[in-house]
Amino acid sequence: MAITLDVNGRTQEVDTDPATPLLYVLRDYLKLNAAKFGCGLGQCGSCTVMVDGQAVFSCVTPVMTLEGRKVTTLEGLGTIDAPAPIQTAFIEVQAAQCGYCIPGMMMSAQALLQKNPQPSEREIRDALRTNLCRCGTHMRILAAIRRAGELMKSAAAEKAGTG
Amino acid sequence: MTQDINRRTILKAGGALIVSFSILPAWAQEAAQPAPGPKLPGSLNDERFLDSWIRIDAEGKIVVFTGKAELGQGIKTALIQVAAEELEVEPADIALVTADTGRTADEGFTAGSQSMQNSGTAIRNAAAQVRELLLAKAAEKFGTGSGELKAAEKVITAPDGRKAGYGELAAAIDLHIEAKPQSMLKAPGTLRIIGKSLPRVDIPAKVTGGIAYVQDLRLEGMVHARIVRPPSYNATLAQVDASRIEAMPGVIKVVRDGNFLAVVAEREYQAVSAMRALATAAQWIENETLPDETRLPEMLAGLEREVGTVAQEGAPHFDGKVF
Repeated sequence: MAITLDVNGRTQEVDTDPATPLLYVLRDYLKLNAAKFGCGLGQCGSCTVMVDGQAVFSCVTPVMTLEGRKVTTLEGLGTIDAPAPIQTAFIEVQAAQCGYCIPGMMMSAQALLQKNPQPSEREIRDALRTNLCRCGTHMRILAAIRRAGELMKSAAAEKAGTG
Repeated sequence: MTQDINRRTILKAGGALIVSFSILPAWAQEAAQPAPGPKLPGSLNDERFLDSWIRIDAEGKIVVFTGKAELGQGIKTALIQVAAEELEVEPADIALVTADTGRTADEGFTAGSQSMQNSGTAIRNAAAQVRELLLAKAAEKFGTGSGELKAAEKVITAPDGRKAGYGELAAAIDLHIEAKPQSMLKAPGTLRIIGKSLPRVDIPAKVTGGIAYVQDLRLEGMVHARIVRPPSYNATLAQVDASRIEAMPGVIKVVRDGNFLAVVAEREYQAVSAMRALATAAQWIENETLPDETRLPEMLAGLEREVGTVAQEGAPHFDGKVF
């Protein structure tokens, strides 16, 4: 069955079983690497993407629920040559060991920062409760999210200044 | 028992804490018959040619090879630092190829904190020896002693200002030669890159959706498989009617080999769906049961065991604070 999806601002038609979880469509059909299969049960957060600005587990979200909604993956935020503030922050702080959980962490953080540009430490930790890291990179991840908040704030100020 | 003794010997020799019980094949090569010729540093002892580790083309492009894999421990960055240091170039000048069965040395598993010790040692020594070969070739060209020459930025400069690039010098050198046991390693006080904390080269791809993991490989004509796990240890597959599963969308084949059961499909989620259906269709005979949970201590105490010394060196020594 053909399903029309809006992924990273591009409209894409995918011919698949409507029950297919979004994660498999992103990775297997659209060849996007960022969202990762971790547990497949919505328990680890490595598959996290944004749907209409909300962080969701793509491994348990059937694609049929997503027509007409905006899906954003880490690829949709920025590129290696033109990184988004959250990506710049994670590189600056070197907030990754194996890195497998990091795209999911970044999408949860991005969803938080879009709603709440200056979150408290408590709010950051709450937003990331759904994301697990087995390497133990947590303190750097928290530092990177704080840094991303600063970068977004200065980018917004610059935009307001020039605009 | 032989296996056990080998493992202990190797654990002791490696001086590393290794929590694993299936690593033997990887370390076994270290314990195997010594390679012919003198003992070479690190993994050079097994992969003895300089060009197994370092190649420089006529344009001066430097490629370094390691049999170890980047797992987020940062070895790509660290090995590049080691190579750049001894070759007297910048880290950005090095292209590193990691753990490619067709192109790199077979260095076994990437485990046990052995990558810098074995691969790093090999690369450092190979890089130093390649640098010395470049200097010697330049000395020959300039008619000077190699000690008077300076290597920097992929160029060797004579005291009178004459210059020769790594590319042109490398074109005149055969690097397919065995390494020597001794290398002219840079003195610790002269190190420019080793010992510095560099940004990890693998992180940018990992935070932008680049190709960084095995899961990100998409090969031409690749299909997907999923295995149906038995319900318990040593269960035997009595029967399975796979006809319904073989008719599912995208399913290419149900594979049965004794108690092994799997399904291959065109798309990954088709394989997942078919695997779930196949698991329902499979009938297993369970042969073993788990021990009685209420009697675990007795069960453990009753297992076959061996008492012995894993390693003993020197005398116990303590001069710390007593709490």
